[in-house]
Formats: sequence, structure tokens, C-alpha cells
Amino acid sequence: MKRGTRKIETQLAVIGTGIAGFAASIFARQRGLDVAQFGHSGAMAYTTGYLDLLGVHDRRVRQDPWAALDELRQDEPQHPMSGLSNASIRAAFDGFTDALGDMGIGYTKAGDRNLSGLLPNGLAKPTFSVPDTMLPGITALERGAKTLVVDFEGLQGFSAKAFEVNFRDRWPELSSARLTFPGMENRQVFPEVLARSLETRATQEALAELIRPLLKGVEYVGLPAILGMHMPDEIRARMEEAIGARLFEIPTIPPAVPGIRLRETFERSFPEMGVQLEPQLKVAEVDFRPSGATLHLHGPMEDLEVEASAVLLATGRFLSGGLKSDQDSLSETLLDLPISQPQDRDAWFRQEYLDPRGHPINRLGVEVDGRFQPVAADGAPIHERLFAAGAILAHQDWVRQRCGAGLAIATAHAATESAAAALG
Amino acid sequence: MGAHSRGNTLDFLKVANDLLPDGASYDACVGCGICASGCPASGLFGMDPRRFINMAMLGMNEELSTTPWVWACTQCKRCAYLCPMGIDVSQLVGAARGAWATEDKPKGIVRSCAAQKLDESTSAMGLMSEDFVEIVEETLEELHENQPRFADLKVPIDKKGAKFVINQNSREPAVEPEEMAPLWKILDYVGADWTYSSKGWAAENFCMFTGDTEAWKDMVETRVDAMNALESEIWINTECGHSFFTIWQGIEKFGLTANFEAESLVTYYAQWIREGKLPVNSDWNKNNVKFTVQDPCQLVRKSIGDQAAEDLRFVVKTLVGEENFVDMQPCRSANYCCGGGGGFLQAGMASERRAYGKRKFDQVIATEADYVLTPCHNCHSQIEDVGDHFGGAYTVTHLWTLICLSLGILGPDERKYLGPDLADINLPEEE
Repeated sequence: MKRGTRKIETQLAVIGTGIAGFAASIFARQRGLDVAQFGHSGAMAYTTGYLDLLGVHDRRVRQDPWAALDELRQDEPQHPMSGLSNASIRAAFDGFTDALGDMGIGYTKAGDRNLSGLLPNGLAKPTFSVPDTMLPGITALERGAKTLVVDFEGLQGFSAKAFEVNFRDRWPELSSARLTFPGMENRQVFPEVLARSLETRATQEALAELIRPLLKGVEYVGLPAILGMHMPDEIRARMEEAIGARLFEIPTIPPAVPGIRLRETFERSFPEMGVQLEPQLKVAEVDFRPSGATLHLHGPMEDLEVEASAVLLATGRFLSGGLKSDQDSLSETLLDLPISQPQDRDAWFRQEYLDPRGHPINRLGVEVDGRFQPVAADGAPIHERLFAAGAILAHQDWVRQRCGAGLAIATAHAATESAAAALG
Repeated sequence: MGAHSRGNTLDFLKVANDLLPDGASYDACVGCGICASGCPASGLFGMDPRRFINMAMLGMNEELSTTPWVWACTQCKRCAYLCPMGIDVSQLVGAARGAWATEDKPKGIVRSCAAQKLDESTSAMGLMSEDFVEIVEETLEELHENQPRFADLKVPIDKKGAKFVINQNSREPAVEPEEMAPLWKILDYVGADWTYSSKGWAAENFCMFTGDTEAWKDMVETRVDAMNALESEIWINTECGHSFFTIWQGIEKFGLTANFEAESLVTYYAQWIREGKLPVNSDWNKNNVKFTVQDPCQLVRKSIGDQAAEDLRFVVKTLVGEENFVDMQPCRSANYCCGGGGGFLQAGMASERRAYGKRKFDQVIATEADYVLTPCHNCHSQIEDVGDHFGGAYTVTHLWTLICLSLGILGPDERKYLGPDLADINLPEEE
């Protein structure tokens, strides 16, 4: 028995299965390119489902992300989003959320203002586009509407009571209740398990039955994000009808349903879109040649060899495995791309963990030119057919800047544009 | 089963470190819990994959060496699939199983492995080689008599140099021999040059599930020797999940020499349909009966990957009509184990196994499909059992049944796994 090698060809190989990687594949398909995408379980399952654009700049929470982007261009010209116009960023967002809608997950359209996204602990954060299942919660908060938030016995990391108490001053008409989820008595439950169960009509009806007696004039009902895994909008509509009140989801702590939902949506839809997706295989090696590259991957039973005309690297940072560090330095794990970094590890961090300026290490990453091509110290592209996008890029601190999805989507859009141009 | 074992207490941290590929580390676990969230065995016996790793890191070896959870984990590797760090709990579970004293292991699994060792047939149902040959011959004789269209059909055994050597799950010859005929007819239809082997023909390996690595190796060696002796180019694994994994993984793990390529029957169904050799279609499905498929973990996630899932969908959509196919969610490599794998079906833990299988049941029910198709005997039995237990109205069936149904060659005796709605559809014409 020989270990087999399967060979495939593609115009663009996208490496990475986070938001940036999936967005890159979507944009590349929209530009008519053949796409193959590779990766492994990454940080996707840790998202709230909210798509941020730019929520914080100059240490202030921003209501107007577009004005904040204008300031960012002045203050941080090296930021990966600074080289992109507001129009192109808006087009990127629209392209991404429209594609999600086509795949069955409704998202709000890019607007002019940030939204105040609810968080599980009874706080709100600035975000830009939210799943349709979460929008009514934002409206309820804005209106101070009479709202009931429900949690479940055995569910960790989401407390309706804490949500109520923390919002009490801003939202006096908010109340909370705890239920035992149908069929999940006396056990620890994960949101994912509840969401799977709510895919069946029997559970939808049983839960509606439990919620109805609690309403007492309530206009909105908030649940942790559990409204099914793959048809949340339909399940929400069905449940709303069954309980007779507006229903919304609140993100939970990881591992949370909205991220798993996105990942499974891409995994389900990409083969239909014509993307050759291998969501469980990490690229082990890449050999570049003048007209492209050969990627080597190792499956459980056979190897995979990919002939690609161009490569887009979207492997993320430390958690996703795109970057690693040892005692002395930071490196890029797949291609050993140069990372411009301080001589000394002492300069990676500031003294205080919560220093509002953030830590220098978070802004280290892969240096790219205006076409999102990784560059050497002299500024020349490492390879004519290599592009990069997302959190692996240098000169951004997406966690503090509340710009994770914006960074991923906008740079994936721009990088695929450059890749398409290079491929003629 | 109580939480005690008279076996060895393992140093799980050491086992974990020995099992890891280069550059990986169990210290890398960030405790996110996506493994536990996505594991249907979470909560059984108070354990879940994250807890297992945490306890290994804390040196709680006594607890991990005795928890019966290792028999409820089906080693489906979904946790490894989900973990951003690639941590694979199933391998630790395999090591833990092996450390249990034989007399404390679930008796059903141990008995099945012992039966496999009785004879070179390697049958977990204790069917000897000569019995297998006799049953095949008798069944063939009946087919010749009752279905004149197949009067010349041949079932070669030990035909040296045949292109394909095909294995056979013991359940059919032991319990329902008439269920062997549909596959024979398909092989006849496509003109395949194939053979059974009288030795090592059985498509099951409970020795792997006992955690007894030596016994696993013995089984694979017997089978590989038998297939090498036949000098076939390709070994086709029948509609069975783990028998595929156990052979190719065994060959790799134990460094055996196999002079054949390992392929799945699903791959060949797809290929024969694409080549026009198997002219199936969905014309028979006039009532738009709905179908879903169960991707066997052992075939898809643990072996061939999504390519096998694609072939499976191609075959099923061709058979039932694209509009009558509904996928379970999640599916393909991300699919949930049904709870029939890893020996769980034979472990005598019915209430835990059904609690595990509830998630599969919900998945099936959410599709609102009338039938579940799966090329795996353990998936088949478990999905059928949870359907009966939780009150599902669906029927579980084999691919060979539907292929023959579509071709109009499925005899009246070969319809055991069809519901009343399909019992009389496309019956062969009286000759």
C-alpha cells in the first residue's frame, strides 16, 4: 500500500480558515477566480458573531467608524486599513455580508454608525454589522423596551441575572428568568448542544411552551445565542410566532454558537460555490516557483499536492498558528516571512497588563506593501504571487481597536483584488 | 460498570507526550472547551474531553485509568478536528482502554475480539472460514434458483489475481445471508473482476476497540497476508466504517507490507456511476421520498476526508434525486459520531449510548427525512436503535439496497431494510 498523493490545481490558494481566509475565498470567487482553501479549526469558533469595523480609536469608543477611519489614516498611516478608502471598505463589507445572507445567515447591512452590541455580561460594545438574530436586542436597549432575558440550568458563562443587574440603570424595564432546557435536566449544557437541539420542531415548541407563561406584557425576549445552528433566522421567526414576542440572541462566551454557525455555514456552502475547501488540513510546506507555488498537505490517509498560480496567506496570529514566539523572537510559521521586531524581548510588553496603549508585540506581524504583498526589509515583494490578509499583518492591534472583522474583510478584499490583477 | 479497574495505572502526561507529533504540546490547551462542546460523550460518567486533558495535566492518573468514560468515547476524533491546537483525546483514550484488565473491560467487546482470534476468518461473530464459504455457496445457489436473471452470477472465493478483493461484514453471512446478494448483483452488473478471500474476509475489528494493540496488529496481519496471497491490485472495503480505518491505519502503524491499495466501496460506486457502468437514476422515486446520509467518522473524518463525503453525496443524489436529498448539519468531516462506533454498541452501556445518540437522532429528525443511508454497519444499527428508542419514524438502509432498487434488480427477499412505502417499488419483472 503506497501512501497516495491527490493533486489539484487552482488559481488562488487561500491558506487559513478564519474570517480573513473565508472572506478572501468569497471575494476571489466573486472576481471569477478558481479558489482552493486550506486550514484547520482556528479562532472562528471564538467570535461573538459581531463584525466590528473600527470601534475604538485614540483610546475613545467611536460612534462613527468612517470618521474614525479618516483619523486612523492620519494617526497610523502604516495600519493595514489606512491604505484603503472608505468606499472600498464599505464595498468589502457589503460583499461579505451579502454572501453570508445568500448562505442563509442574515447580517445587517453596512451603515453609517456603529451599533451598540449586547455582551453576555450585561455590557455593550461598539460593533458594525450584527446577525439579524441579534439586532432586536440592540433596538430593545435603545428603546428601553420591556424585555425578559432567559438563561438555563447548567449553562455556564451566561447569567440572565447578571445581564439584568449590570444593565439595570440603563434599562429599568429589563427582567430575567431561569429555565430548564427541554430534555437537558440535571446536566451541564453547552450553547452548541442547545442550538443543535433547537433545530428540531419538537424542541422549538417545547421551549416556546416554557417561555410563554413568563411573558406578562413583555415585548422582547432575549436568549443566549442558541437559535439553531444552520437556519437561525427561520428558527427565530418560528419561535417568535410561537411565543408572541420579539426574540433576540445575545452572544455567549467561547465556544459560542455564532462562530460555529459561521464556520459550518462556510463548510456547507463553499463546495456549492465551487471553492475546493479542505477545512481540516494545514499546509505543511510551500515551494515557490516563478509562476506560482506548490503546496504540500498531509491528510490522515493521503497527501495533497496543490498547484496554485497565487497564494494568499491568512493564517492569523498565535492562537491560529500563523505566528509563533520563542524566548528570543517572533516568527511566521509557514514561510518564515520576515517580521520586523525589536532586538530584545523586553520591548514586547509594557509594564502594566491593562495599559490602554496596548503592548508592542500585538502590532508585530507580516509587513506588506500597498498591494498586500509580504515584503523583505528592503521593501521588495518576497514573491510576485504571494499576498497576505487579516490579523497576521503588522501595525494593528485589532483587539484594542475593535477592528478584527473590518481588518480581515477589508484586507482580504484588497489582497484578492491585487491577486486577481496579478493573475490577469 | 463501576469506576474501577484492576489494570495498570498509566502516566497520562507521559503517554500524551509520547503520542504527540513534533512541535505540538498538550500545554498548548487554552481550555476553551470547544472539544467538550462538540462531543456527544460530554457529561457521560461525569467526564468530557477537556476534563480528560486537564486531569492528565494534573497527574490524576488513577482517575483516568479507571473512568468507564473511555468506553463511551467512540474515538471519533471530532475533538481533534475542532481543537485549534490539534489535541487528539482519542489516542489517550485508546491507551487508557489498553491499560484495563481484560476481565474488567466491557464483555461484549472482549468476546468479539476473542471470537476473531478463533480462526483465520477473523470474524467477530465466530464464523469459521469453511462456514463462510458454505454459506456463500448456499446463498448463491438460492439466488440462482429464485432469480433466473442471475442464474450465471459468480461469487469467486480465493481467485488469485482478481483485480479486487472485497471483504464482508460478518452480520450478513451469520444472520441475514440474503443481504449479501445485492452487492454481488452490483459487482456482476459492472463486470468487476473480484473475489472474496476465505481467510481474513471479515470486515470488523473489535480487537482495535479493546485497546489491545497486539491483538489489533494480529488481526490486520492475518488479513493483509491473506490479501497479499491473492495478489489483487485493490482491496475494496465493503459498507463498513471501522474495518477500513483498522486496516490502512494498522498497515501504517505496524509497518506491514501490503501489496494492494486500500479503497472504499463508496469510491467505486461513484466511479462506476460516473463511468456509466452503473446506470442508476431516481425515476423510481415518484413520491419524492426524502433521504439523508450519515457520514461514517471512520471513513470520512478519520480516513479519506471530504472526498469520501463528496462521493457519498454524488451516489445518493443520483439514486434518490437531488431534490430529495437533505443533508444533516453538521456533516462531512465535521459530522457527529452516531454513538455506535468504538465498540460502544457492544459495550453493554445502552442508556449512555442512547444519551450519546440523542444528538444524532435530533440531527436526523431536523432533516425530516424518511430514510437514512449509511455505508457503515455500526452507524446503521445505532441510528436504527435510537430511532426506535426516541420514537423516530425513519428507516435506515444500505446503499446496495437502493442501487439495486434503482436498477430494478432488488428481489422481494432483499427488502428487509426498506419501509412499506418502498416495499413494492421497482420489483424485478417475473421471468
